[in-house]
Amino acid sequence: MRFVSFRPASSVIATVALLLVANAPSQAQTRAETLRYVTGASVNTLDPNIPGSTRESFALSMSTYDRLVAFGRKQLNGKWVFDLDKITGELAESYDVSPDGLKLTFRLRKDAKFQDGSPVTAEDVKWSLDRCVTAPILGKAQLLTGSLTSADQFKVIDPFTIEVTLPKPDKLALPNLATVYPMIINSKMAKEHATADDPWATAWLKEHTAGSGAYVVETFKPGEQVILKRSEDWNRGSPDKPAFFKRVIVQSVPEPATRANLVERGDADIVVDLQASDVQSLEAKGKLKVVSTPQYNAITFVSMNNQMPPFDNVNVRRAIAFALPYDDMFKAALFGRGAPLFGANWPDGKPLNGIYPFQAPVKIDLDKAREYLKAAGLPEGFSTTFSFNVGQASTAEPMAALVKESLAKIGIKVDIQKLPDAQMSTQINEKKLPLFTEGIVAWLPSTDYFYRNFYTGNQRWNYSSINNPELAAIAQEARFEADKAKYEEDGRKLNAIHFSEMPQIPLWQPNQDAVMASSIEGYTYEFHRQVDYRDVSRK
Amino acid sequence: MTGLGATMVRAGRRLLSSLPALFGVLVFTFLLMRVLPGDPAVFFASGPNAGKEEIEQIRKQMGLNKSVPEQLVFYLSDIGHGNLGRSMMTGQPVLKDLRERLPASLELTFAALLIALIAAVPLGVVAALRPGSIVDHGVRLFCALGVCVPTFVSGLLLIYVFYYLLGLAPDPTGRIDVFTSLPPQRTGFLSIDFLLAGDVEGWWAACKQLILPAVSMALFVIAPLARITRASMLVSLGSDFVRTARSVGLSWRKVVVTYALRNAILPIITIAGIVFSTMLGANVLVEKVFSWPGVASYALDALLSSDYAPVQGFVLLMASVFVLVNLVVDICYGIADPRVSIG
Repeated sequence: MRFVSFRPASSVIATVALLLVANAPSQAQTRAETLRYVTGASVNTLDPNIPGSTRESFALSMSTYDRLVAFGRKQLNGKWVFDLDKITGELAESYDVSPDGLKLTFRLRKDAKFQDGSPVTAEDVKWSLDRCVTAPILGKAQLLTGSLTSADQFKVIDPFTIEVTLPKPDKLALPNLATVYPMIINSKMAKEHATADDPWATAWLKEHTAGSGAYVVETFKPGEQVILKRSEDWNRGSPDKPAFFKRVIVQSVPEPATRANLVERGDADIVVDLQASDVQSLEAKGKLKVVSTPQYNAITFVSMNNQMPPFDNVNVRRAIAFALPYDDMFKAALFGRGAPLFGANWPDGKPLNGIYPFQAPVKIDLDKAREYLKAAGLPEGFSTTFSFNVGQASTAEPMAALVKESLAKIGIKVDIQKLPDAQMSTQINEKKLPLFTEGIVAWLPSTDYFYRNFYTGNQRWNYSSINNPELAAIAQEARFEADKAKYEEDGRKLNAIHFSEMPQIPLWQPNQDAVMASSIEGYTYEFHRQVDYRDVSRK
Repeated sequence: MTGLGATMVRAGRRLLSSLPALFGVLVFTFLLMRVLPGDPAVFFASGPNAGKEEIEQIRKQMGLNKSVPEQLVFYLSDIGHGNLGRSMMTGQPVLKDLRERLPASLELTFAALLIALIAAVPLGVVAALRPGSIVDHGVRLFCALGVCVPTFVSGLLLIYVFYYLLGLAPDPTGRIDVFTSLPPQRTGFLSIDFLLAGDVEGWWAACKQLILPAVSMALFVIAPLARITRASMLVSLGSDFVRTARSVGLSWRKVVVTYALRNAILPIITIAGIVFSTMLGANVLVEKVFSWPGVASYALDALLSSDYAPVQGFVLLMASVFVLVNLVVDICYGIADPRVSIG
């Protein structure tokens, strides 16, 4: 064999490598001040409000724009995570909530400047919030969950004070203002680029930023990379100084194995979406820092269509819940990297607390499953399909095989359906799938928010199509419940209904595995499940 | 000069006659995308709170609220105006995306084809000179290995060895090291633009970024090229003119290169043309593995998310490239063998 083509290629590579080594020190200096973050998907818009925007776009907007307020952070099992209950000021120097909970008053920082040098005023805040609830953008549906629906609710008191009025005391109003969408835009700049058809400048803001955030966009290549430059004036971080890194490179690297190689070789500084197997081996090598945080606002579950026979029968759903090989699935799909939501012990048969997601007292018990099938009048079992989308194949495929094998033991024949992502979402929207696996995320993980969005109404996110008036009523009521003890009681009731009705079977909360160079510090698990570049620094 | 002029006229006529085919491709792709299952609006409205209203809005934005014939008319009139629509994925006009990404794919494919030809033609010639010998078997084994290892496997292997283990290659992400500043864009081919800008260091950086993906693609297509070279060399070596050339005592080199190879080159050009067109579309796996910002990986992402406009734009582009490549192949024929002229 003669590898004719290899010789010239490798000698060129060798020569080039020598050249590289020769000028390495000059590069190293800029490297220390640069954060290189590699992700699987890409930033596709600079305004996260545009339908179809990716998680990477969310993370980008967090540091190119400021919001009125931000989430604090707390420690969960020794890992930093965002704190839903601690809202701190970002553009707001301070804020007040009136005693009846109907008025939120924000006093702006007087030193805050947009990236073009003009000061951030209450007028800009008003325009930006108006845009969020008026323009046909994503923010509208999100702010709705915090009773923010109309421009009349935002009032400029003086150039540095803005007041938000609520129809009812809604505990999610304030946290909603800390989410991705209600970013504060330089209204003067945006208005210059607004047109009669597009009064809120959505087209222009998609490709330009007009914010006051910690980073300025230097180059933006959709689908490839974004390069950011630090804004030296920005002082909204906790220690009152600009963000640590002078430059941030957000780069799309679709192949997970390549992302793992890059971070291991030290060419990338941080990556969050690796395959569980790669994370495990990187962790075992011990050269890198691996911060694994259960995604405490996310859940993976097996859902059943509660309106479609035979899953409209509660006993069939219970039978499935006791026929899933939980431990094997957890190991095969995630290598055990996550927080299980099965195998709990409820001594008196009642939920331990009112927090959702909860750990349910389910485990594989085929005899019990057979009894439930008999009670449902289907002792011989039935045939059905189990669907998952291609995008989740790496975790869902081994799961599906185990589900098929285990359900076969109680007479249920399962056909595995692997659907392209667009097709899967269409089928879910049209409520056509009998049995499938999906994952959900809530930005504001409170019990009532989960139940209202994912277990009520005839809408897409009600995956199991459950229609339980009692559950819906309690979830609605809990939303405005100011009394903590009563709220907890409502949560317990909701969890009890969930367990007895078993509309879908929560499986686990997968870990967010952030793998980073050992010199990187301050990584925090954020609600948008991406790295907030402002959090991290280099030792 | 008149010969060249006539060739140009004939080439123009050939291009015109391919327009109906392009139109057919256009309509076919359009209809195909519409009958594929999956509603793109539902997919793109996947934010945590996207409800019916958002889905309707996206549908309107993508023009899906109209009937299919109406959509087709709008689409064709858009194409007539040089507008290929907007990608939901990148948020950019498809034309802009393709214009930015096509040079990346072309550069990679040209480099791979060049490497493949440089390797395959000598291999084929050597094998043909000693048919049945150990060399011939060696070439066959090498070709079989190249063709049976899928490009993403060879790509990952090359990355593992040259980047991960040896640290010789630059990190396999994109066309250029993220820390290198880009030259002013003229051709879109980095290896040419850097030279035009007189930046030798940048040129090196771009070239070494190109080597691994190009080699992994080349490995895959060496086999057909080498096999065709061998077969057509065998025919040409066994022909009367070679026997005559040998008998009059011409040098070995002159016989093989000038007489045999020149006559064997026609099928190689044909195959190279076909290989080029298929590679351009089929290098999606290499583009994925090396994060190469090319058109193929763009089209695949679009297809997976049912983003109609980019897929349609990509198919149209590929059809046009195919027409062009065929034309170039025909012209090359004319040069290699003046008896053949395009018509």
